[in-house]
Amino acid sequence: MKTKSFLAFVAPSVATMLLLIALPLVGVAYLSLHQSHVKTELVELTTEVPLIGGVTRKQTRVVPQSVLGEDGKPIQVWEFVGGRNLEKAAELNNLAKAFASPRGDPGEKTYLARLYREVTNYDFWSALEFTLLYTFLTTPAILVVGLALALAVNSVSKRLRGTLVFATLLPMIVTPVVSSLAIYWLFLDNAIITNFIEYLGLGKFYFLADKFTIRTLIILYGVWFAAPFAFIILYAGLQTMPRDPLESAMIDGANKWQRLRYVIVPHLTPLLTVITLIHVMDAYRVFEPILVFNADIFANSVQYLTYYTLAFENNIHKAAAYSILTIAGVILILVPVLRKSFREYRIST
Amino acid sequence: MTRLKLLAAAAAIFAAPAVASAECDIDASGEVNVITNFFETLELLSNVMKECESDELKIDVKLTTQHKEEREQAFAASSSPYDASAVANSSITMLQAKGQLMPLNDLVDKYRDEYNIEDQMLIRFGDEISAIAFMANAQHFYYRKDLFEKHGLEVPATYADLLEAAKVLQADESVDHPFGAAFGGPGNWERGNEFVNILLANGGELFDPLTSEPVFNGPQGVEALELMGELLNYMSPNALTHDFGQVRQQLQQGEIAMAIQWGDQAATMDNENESIVVGKVGFAPAPAMTDGGPPATTFWWDGYVIPKNLDGDPETAFQVIMHATRSEVVAANNDITLWVRSNYAPSEYSKAVIDSVMANAPPYPMNPQSELAHGAIGNNIGDFLGGLESAEQSLADAASDYRSAAIDAGLITE
Repeated sequence: MKTKSFLAFVAPSVATMLLLIALPLVGVAYLSLHQSHVKTELVELTTEVPLIGGVTRKQTRVVPQSVLGEDGKPIQVWEFVGGRNLEKAAELNNLAKAFASPRGDPGEKTYLARLYREVTNYDFWSALEFTLLYTFLTTPAILVVGLALALAVNSVSKRLRGTLVFATLLPMIVTPVVSSLAIYWLFLDNAIITNFIEYLGLGKFYFLADKFTIRTLIILYGVWFAAPFAFIILYAGLQTMPRDPLESAMIDGANKWQRLRYVIVPHLTPLLTVITLIHVMDAYRVFEPILVFNADIFANSVQYLTYYTLAFENNIHKAAAYSILTIAGVILILVPVLRKSFREYRIST
Repeated sequence: MTRLKLLAAAAAIFAAPAVASAECDIDASGEVNVITNFFETLELLSNVMKECESDELKIDVKLTTQHKEEREQAFAASSSPYDASAVANSSITMLQAKGQLMPLNDLVDKYRDEYNIEDQMLIRFGDEISAIAFMANAQHFYYRKDLFEKHGLEVPATYADLLEAAKVLQADESVDHPFGAAFGGPGNWERGNEFVNILLANGGELFDPLTSEPVFNGPQGVEALELMGELLNYMSPNALTHDFGQVRQQLQQGEIAMAIQWGDQAATMDNENESIVVGKVGFAPAPAMTDGGPPATTFWWDGYVIPKNLDGDPETAFQVIMHATRSEVVAANNDITLWVRSNYAPSEYSKAVIDSVMANAPPYPMNPQSELAHGAIGNNIGDFLGGLESAEQSLADAASDYRSAAIDAGLITE
């Protein structure tokens, strides 16, 4: 293809990507380097508010009020703060102090234990801890579960397959917030599962009471939610599996496991790489179960912090800084996978 | 049978505003867009607002629990797509401090007679009327009358009494836990709210009004937080993820014997479709921290504001708001909330709120600093309640987070 026609073909998608991906990213980076607020001064003011039944209460207090500019409008302060938002978001100052001398805690004796305790007390680092845990535990799990499902569906009779594929895809079709809520409701006090456990005579079990069970639930949810994605790609891959090598392997006396290990998995490797790549990106941005379980002392995520800062602190600049940190994290994790697939691509061409 | 009842209830809800409505005769054209939180009363008011729709006038009310993010951005923009919004004590403060709210004085004067606007509906900052309030609310104490009688308990006047009662109820097999309160909630707002309630009743303050520096981490704060830790011993182990909705269910399902809950939820205890403890739940003001002190609760109001930068006509928006909050709507829907208008007839469900007023419960502090401090507290005290660190440390972390947020908001200059 000529360079000119190549450019003409890719121009629309390049333009769309610049407009919808690159430009917002530049905007986020710009926001994260600034801070803005309305200029206020303290004014003594009497406020009057209703209580009930016509009773009101007056209070005189000192309240910040906007300072008006010459045009009669409140003065907007917009300042360049450089890396301050990033530094605050990642709590770098505290981190340095923690490394120098972590907080004394009577329960924890060693330096490392105390350091871990203090660092995971900081929003960003505790969020990062769980985000990484979630990413690195769900990724291998969905590959294994997805492959097992694909093999299972592939081995049943053709008539049943359509229904089975649809049923397996259900977790992926349900909106994540809705499915997170459904899981959460199953495990609340006196919910279906907790009641069932009690009915079995195993006593009352509180799933939302500690770090281990909450984290386990969220990770299991992640596997349940993302495994269908691995399944459908691997199932499609299995349809392209030629019969010849499988039959040769059988003639050579390979058992089921050996055929899987030495014939099927190598055939599916490129697909496994693609699934890993996409799932790592998705998993690193885990958000819905964190929001729904609302247990950020036990399980937090970097993406949730962006939302929290925007929604509850109403600080778009610091939220932008968290976004930048999320993007940086995704890129860092993806580099090894990308390098590997790039190397394979070079070998194959 | 149950389904029939549900249908009847649904029909009643839809029919209610229709009963109330004289037709809405606002002579205007264009659009009125409103954004509000999502709960029953606001849903009702939104339905009443829609009565004003005509060929010329389009009315759109967006009910969403994510109202805050959208409103903050809309009111700060050059032009707001929303012409009005519902706010409360806490959420109005930052908007008002930033000068984004339209003073409603002229509109109130013009329409005072037509809509019978009463003085107690007007939220004033100095001389400026910034919002029109329609309902009030406060959290108070809920308890199981039958269990209190069975064990010979009295309604606790202080939190020390409550802990004593909890010890007795701990042994009662008919409930899972003696006490319930919203110690979790979205963004940990409700956890922070419980701390603010107890802190203020304990004689503490959130911040120094002259410097905006945090003071909630003083001895009164530590006491308040340690009390929350003690209460947790009598609550569900899952309590750190519970919001007010779950506390209501725990009460309705007979899982807990005492709770702190919003006043406007009282009637739901006797809703046969949801509750198995109909007629068994009693209401009283929240316990105090000191003998004879104010109950550990704050007063809230909900009301409508109009931004300065709206893209529609403020007068039309104002009329739509006043149509939805007029006396007839209150009369036709008396029991769904605690209305501010004088024709509201208090019932047994609102008595505890009225008693809280009599016992001098304060309004929730209407300063923008409160909102920031509240958020920072909610976000940090979980570490103490979850057993990860000391109360002092949690509050010190909260104070440092609050300072950082206040600096970004331009309220503290370094």
